[in-house]
Amino acid sequence: MRKTRVAAALAVCALGAGGLAACGSGSSSGKTTITFMEAMSSGTLKTSMETLTKRFEKAHPDIDVQLQVEPDYGTLRNKETAALSASKPPTIGQVYSDWAATFAKSNVVVPLTDYAKPADLKALYPSVRDDLYLPADHKLYMWPFNKSVVIQYYNTKMLSAKGKSAPKTWDEFAATARAVSGKGNVGIAIDPGGSAGPAGGEAWFEILSQAYGTPVFAADGKPQFTSPAAIKAMNYLVGLKKAGALTLGKNYPGQVALGAGKGGFDISSVASYYYNSKAVGGKFPMGTAPLPTGPGGTQANQMAGTNIVMFAKASDAERKAAWSYLRFLTSADSQAYWAQNSGYLPVTPAALPKMTDFIKKNPYQKFAAQALTTAKADPPYPWISQAQGMLAVAMQSAITGKQSASAALGSAQQQAVDAMKSGQ
Amino acid sequence: MATTQLDRPSRRGVAVRSRRRSRDRSGPTAVLFSLPALAIFAIFTILPTAYTFVISLFDWNPLNVSQSTFIGADNYRKLFAHSTPSFAASALTSLYFTAGMVIGGTAISLAIALLLSRGGSWLSGVRVAVFVPHVTPLVATSIVWVWIFNPQFGLANAILRWLHLPAVDWLDSSSTAMPAILTYSLWHEVGFTVVIFLGGLAVVSGELGEAARVDGANRWQEFWYVTWPQLRPVTLFVVTISTISSLQAFTQFFVMTEGGPAHATTTLSYLLYQEAFVFFHTGYAAALAVVLFVVTALFTLLQFRTRRSTLS
Repeated sequence: MRKTRVAAALAVCALGAGGLAACGSGSSSGKTTITFMEAMSSGTLKTSMETLTKRFEKAHPDIDVQLQVEPDYGTLRNKETAALSASKPPTIGQVYSDWAATFAKSNVVVPLTDYAKPADLKALYPSVRDDLYLPADHKLYMWPFNKSVVIQYYNTKMLSAKGKSAPKTWDEFAATARAVSGKGNVGIAIDPGGSAGPAGGEAWFEILSQAYGTPVFAADGKPQFTSPAAIKAMNYLVGLKKAGALTLGKNYPGQVALGAGKGGFDISSVASYYYNSKAVGGKFPMGTAPLPTGPGGTQANQMAGTNIVMFAKASDAERKAAWSYLRFLTSADSQAYWAQNSGYLPVTPAALPKMTDFIKKNPYQKFAAQALTTAKADPPYPWISQAQGMLAVAMQSAITGKQSASAALGSAQQQAVDAMKSGQ
Repeated sequence: MATTQLDRPSRRGVAVRSRRRSRDRSGPTAVLFSLPALAIFAIFTILPTAYTFVISLFDWNPLNVSQSTFIGADNYRKLFAHSTPSFAASALTSLYFTAGMVIGGTAISLAIALLLSRGGSWLSGVRVAVFVPHVTPLVATSIVWVWIFNPQFGLANAILRWLHLPAVDWLDSSSTAMPAILTYSLWHEVGFTVVIFLGGLAVVSGELGEAARVDGANRWQEFWYVTWPQLRPVTLFVVTISTISSLQAFTQFFVMTEGGPAHATTTLSYLLYQEAFVFFHTGYAAALAVVLFVVTALFTLLQFRTRRSTLS
């Protein structure tokens, strides 16, 4: 009996010690452990992230990087928030810029001003660099991670059967989408998302509005949902729906329809290339092209993807180790490897010469990287995601005919302005 | 066999045993034995409920609690002023779903139970088939039904096309999204209530039915005037359980529609999730949770009252 009690006590102690060692980050036996909460959880994203991290650890034997992988961005944000609530955040975390704004407002992240040297920043694409600062104090809070732009994927067989090729303007796109629709086929299937969060369809609406002359958010984050450009963009989608050239769906409907040979187009992130190719599975040649342009050749695209922040709870040693890791991730070599394996774009042009063969085989990377030089990210304010959800609801209302385009956008504008006021 | 003097328990003996049993149930030993269960209940249910009420009185910042400010009943006032979707609109959506589940679910499960009550090996197989959906995971089957309702590839529209009827945007139209979710939810839940009704039908007196038939009652009259009144306690139980579970239903809304399109399926439970875990309006969400708790408790009390008065 006594022996059993002693064994049980030892087991509890061992578990406790193990748990304490496993919990959080810190330094032990001269090695600094940092934790990175991220959402690169599937396919080549996961393996590329693990390979890069192993390479870093090999080059820095005094640093141990623990990846805390979450299945999707929604879960990632919840886990980061829960960890912050419990005062046990990771050392660094993947974030959208409006999350970073919320975190900075609550003083739970630290600026990277002390770490990033001018040369580090100069190495990045200007549009990527501009997305790292928060407007509240104009300080550098983020470091770039996975960046993408939107491109068009299309079924070459379906388009050529109608004598069409990749459209160059949005008017041409609408005509082509109408031409290929019917007999079970649809020009494009989109998911706008919902009030809980936007999806790819909402991003396309933002791009259309920008192409017609006015982005849906001003530089100071103010919603501009009722601009003539936004109403025109919404009516464009409503027209496609009425013509049977657009359908709504869930869970990447554009990719599913394209892959099944039932959809003409998918307007999606460049990072979808791997998943779209897999969905098509060689049934027909999948075409890729830059996004069509608006009136007068207006180019519009959205820089999507996330950055990384450093949480304020980290010790000096952890912050130093984390910065080494962040710098490693954006080095030309790492970015060349990351872009070739993940499908995301390199955040530094210095990676391009190291990807010559890859770009030759995958020309979409070249025009996507070019789009990165002009693409705009949504302004980093805490209310942006919520306002995008309101836009997604407006899209549902207008496209399904529940409300007119202007009424749906008017209602979303009112709500977004309220969200902005309460988020300021 | 005659009972002897020794076999018969004395009145005094019974009284002593009864006193001892009563002392056992309220004494310190009983409390000691109840403590683990009480502790678990307190830690995981009572304290979080009380804490939720406290949070509902604050403009709560989950990222940095020191930035939270006491605002009294402001979150409760916002319930009646908050913009789209409003608390009232979500409450109506919840009621729509609850009414569909309670009325539809009770009627369908009673009808199925009556059909299956005769027994036999073939009908036993059907009983299993009816019950099986209830034990399937909500998330997995919700995803399956999203594909059934897919406008382009789904089984539902394939059937409509086969019947030369126009396709429907099941989950993407404000008018059909809730009926589509109700269809799925009824498919998932009816198996359980059928089993409850079958249990009730098993103890219904056959003699009363026989007497009614002898008196010239047809099948419908026998059901309406004889069988149905005897099933009233079971029906009340089914209605209570269905009301509580429908008011708290969340998974199918989360997986199938995310509260859309255009808030057509934003129930109170979904609104609560969205405010708490998407927008992190924790104080407001806590106020919603408190109100949902009170509404559910009131419904349940009302139904228990009705049950008591019916039984008496």
